[in-house]
Amino acid sequence: MMEERAEAVHAERRAAALAMGGDRKLKKRAAAGALNARERVDLLFDSGSFTESGLFATSPVDADKDTTPADGKVTGTGDIDGRRAAVIAYDFTVKGASSSSVSNKKMQHMKDLATRRGMPLIYLAESTGVRMPDVMGGTGMGQGNDRSRFLRCRESPWASGVFGYSFGSAAWHTVSSDFAVFRKGSVMAVSSPGLVSRATGQEVDGQDLGGWRIHSEITGFADAVADTDEQAIELIRRFLSYLPAHNGEAPPSAPITEGSEDRLHELRTLVPQSRTQVYDVRKVIEVVADNGSVFPIKARYGKSLVTALTRIGGQTVGVIANNPMFKGGAIDADACDKATSFLVLCDSYNIPILFLVDQPGFLIGLEAERDKVAGKVINWMNALSLVTVPKITVMMRKNYGQAFVNMGGAFTADATAAWWSAEISFMDPRSAVSVVYGIQPESDPEEYERRLAEMARGSTAYDIARVYGVQDVIDPVDTRSFVLAALRDNHLARTGGVGEHLLSTWPTSY
Amino acid sequence: MAETIQAEMNANVWKILVAPGDSVEEECPLMILESMKMEIPVLAESEGFVVALHVAEGDRVSPGQPLVDLSTN
Repeated sequence: MMEERAEAVHAERRAAALAMGGDRKLKKRAAAGALNARERVDLLFDSGSFTESGLFATSPVDADKDTTPADGKVTGTGDIDGRRAAVIAYDFTVKGASSSSVSNKKMQHMKDLATRRGMPLIYLAESTGVRMPDVMGGTGMGQGNDRSRFLRCRESPWASGVFGYSFGSAAWHTVSSDFAVFRKGSVMAVSSPGLVSRATGQEVDGQDLGGWRIHSEITGFADAVADTDEQAIELIRRFLSYLPAHNGEAPPSAPITEGSEDRLHELRTLVPQSRTQVYDVRKVIEVVADNGSVFPIKARYGKSLVTALTRIGGQTVGVIANNPMFKGGAIDADACDKATSFLVLCDSYNIPILFLVDQPGFLIGLEAERDKVAGKVINWMNALSLVTVPKITVMMRKNYGQAFVNMGGAFTADATAAWWSAEISFMDPRSAVSVVYGIQPESDPEEYERRLAEMARGSTAYDIARVYGVQDVIDPVDTRSFVLAALRDNHLARTGGVGEHLLSTWPTSY
Repeated sequence: MAETIQAEMNANVWKILVAPGDSVEEECPLMILESMKMEIPVLAESEGFVVALHVAEGDRVSPGQPLVDLSTN
């Protein structure tokens, strides 16, 4: 009898906790095309693999205990492609997924577990922020125990999905993550537009304040954008497939996909001969990498530089490439931040780095100086100097100035080759003629041509190879085989592919 | 819907490739700017018609300056 009763009570309690914020709210969400927290968790993990932690947690406030199932955070562990991972899914139907002392304990436990046991942690974020009025007053604030709450040392990867409104801790966790995907329509900000309007008198719209477009194009907090909840979760799974479960192991390798190497001959024509002509470097990356393996990071931000996770020969490789299609490939302040943040990602998780170089220099000018480009160039250089994963550089076409060094030149990389068409110098020879002789093609065409030829001298791939500034000069079609050999030569054999991750405590956003 | 395409950087307008009334495809180059010694195409972000040109060949433009108005469907 006792057991039957216990069974019935248990079943009732479970059902109440699994009911989340109730039918009405759940149906409303479903009608709007948004998944609920438990549906998102089910999609994230391999079927049937989810183990919940804290199903019976509720608000510590007695009056709220029956209306706060799981205290608004679904937490636990499950498998992603057979590898264990932890999840924190914000349940917006329970008090707007606001944070209380109990849900904070649940979140902290997931973070500790992921860190200590070496598995990725995924945030499925959607939250109004801290729970009001619980946190008001000295008694509310004094209960915090946040010594390490926002400590981020990248022991294991964090990935975030931003769905709907995400304020407070949902925003903090998103910007602490190694990867954040924003579903279209989502808003992430420090506080809600309503609070901003009341506090500052500034009327703001959510999308203007922190919409997915702002974060994918202006702040760069969005590493990817998804049309739907389902696609966002798929992108998180895909991102993690390139990464190790923790920083103490090498990234997983995958079979080389069919059709890889089939289009290498296109490398002779994808990049135009004339240095002034533009093209889309993403096509070059597609050809060099394993077929279908390119996963862009921050594609809508700092677009004159492309960062992407790829596989080359089945191995995860982070690619940093200039894209002349945007701003002529000139590297602006956003592109600098994007490069630094990508170096941090790769160095933290033992991912070798490949530079594909074709750039006219850093974008200079009034805006650039005010955007603190000097500081950003050197942050990037400092990061590059600390990277301990293998670095490989291929100079494809023009390569000028300090950016030559930032893009893995001047022996900052472990293996370097130049295409036979590469052109390396301190600046574009046409600029140099103006700087040194103060003449323009219009003012004195003959003298200009003579000086131009003089300035362009000694800029070929063979010239830099002569002083061993590159180790080889290659036919463009041999790019992939050069990279594959360099990956083998520079494999971190002594540590099984594990670097020192000296950048793992660098800032989580730039 | 009308859409104004703006300059992304300081540049000189080198060549204008369209005129008001022209229909354009997505990704179609509308003009070529010259900056950092590079020829940088300005592309239509979607298909539509050229409504107005705000610059002429030889003009200097700065970031945010309107270049072309497109009407998009």
